[in-house]
Amino acid sequence: MPFCERSKGVGGLFNDLTLGQYYPAPSPLHRLDARTKLVGTIVFMVGLFTVKNTAGYIFVTLFTLALLVLSRVPFRLVLKSLRPLKFILIFTLIINLFMTSGEVVLTTLGPLRITEEGLARAVMMTLRIAFLVMGTSLLTLTTTPINLTDGMERLMAPGRRWGIPAHELAMMMGIALRFIPTLAEETQRIMYAQMARGADFESGGLLHRARAMVPLLVPLFVSAFRRAEELATAMEARCYRGGDQRTRMREMAYTRLDVAGGAIMVFYLLISIGSRWMG
Amino acid sequence: MKNNRLVSTREMTLVGLFVAVTAALAQVSIPVFFSPVPITGQTFAVMLAGAILGSRLGALSMAVYVLLGAFGAPIFAQAKAGFGVLVGPTGGYLFGFILGAYLLGKVVEAAKGEASYLRVVVGMILCTLVVYILGVSQLAFVLKFSLAKALTVGAIPYLPMDALKLVLAAGVAVGVRRSLQAAGFLAPVKA
Repeated sequence: MPFCERSKGVGGLFNDLTLGQYYPAPSPLHRLDARTKLVGTIVFMVGLFTVKNTAGYIFVTLFTLALLVLSRVPFRLVLKSLRPLKFILIFTLIINLFMTSGEVVLTTLGPLRITEEGLARAVMMTLRIAFLVMGTSLLTLTTTPINLTDGMERLMAPGRRWGIPAHELAMMMGIALRFIPTLAEETQRIMYAQMARGADFESGGLLHRARAMVPLLVPLFVSAFRRAEELATAMEARCYRGGDQRTRMREMAYTRLDVAGGAIMVFYLLISIGSRWMG
Repeated sequence: MKNNRLVSTREMTLVGLFVAVTAALAQVSIPVFFSPVPITGQTFAVMLAGAILGSRLGALSMAVYVLLGAFGAPIFAQAKAGFGVLVGPTGGYLFGFILGAYLLGKVVEAAKGEASYLRVVVGMILCTLVVYILGVSQLAFVLKFSLAKALTVGAIPYLPMDALKLVLAAGVAVGVRRSLQAAGFLAPVKA
């Protein structure tokens, strides 16, 4: 299962790398073309930073909830994307709650005052960050990294004229995905080897532990260079010569679903902008 | 064969592998109780990318790292991933990695012959400053903090640890460059 808890070790961390956070489900959001979702996510973020009043926030709240329901991704997985941010969310809530000066004082806790403005601002700022993370994590929950990489390559392909190496970026991401588990394993192996020789990573002060890392790092980097050299030779031996005239295993195509998705995002943006003039 | 390739095969594999190293090192991370920003091996990898790969490939490797993480591969510190991290409070540090590696590479490349230890250290100080300038700015912007508050939470507590990381990174960078040149992987830098 791509979404189960990952084990703590550096080696076990990357077992499900190519799937990333992907959660397979039969939903219209999953079926959308990766390009549509990439552009849609950017539009979603722009809208989120456009709204500024209660009406606007109600709209983006409903919109985000609709996306969540539509995606058929279990809610606890989306919430999980918020977990690393719980500290920041609480921090934002508290700071804005007590530090905003305002006219209408709702209640006082000792020296601390909660004003109406403070309460509104705290709720809005916290919701904005929460929706930002939840909405954008839907992109990676409904699309695999490989698909996103392909989508990005296609979206940026016209940028070649201005020196944007779209194909090369996608290829480098593919190479990295392939080699992250290998190098994580290697890190672990070198760590064990150094431990067997008496290196101590577990105890002692920060300085001591950091120093123990140095003999680990030099061989790690040198071996990465060696692997890169071997891979380049292997690719050139198989006549790899960049993205020109390359055929692909998976073709991408827009469907009617993408047209509908695009239209919905246009309306979303218009309403977000329009909400600024509503009470 | 006409050559209109922007990045050669050899450069692509090198960058790909460096991204993998960065991802592995980023998982070495110590959370701290006083702030949302953990102490990570990420910044270590950034400094090494700039110092070993140089400005162009160093920045490229960091850009690929950031993009790949944004696309959902759990490779940021603490196995975080996704677009949310980029636009979230700590995203500025990630953008800082790209610019920081680039400037550090420029400093190293400006040397006549092989860069000295001192030059690498100066470049790394510049790199660290750039990472903090971008990181703290986004932290302040996203959380609507004052600059002083953002500095207290997102920069000052880490400086002693960074000084330590920097000295070690410079040592590793010089060591790696030397063994790469000995093995013939890295041509000696010419001004």
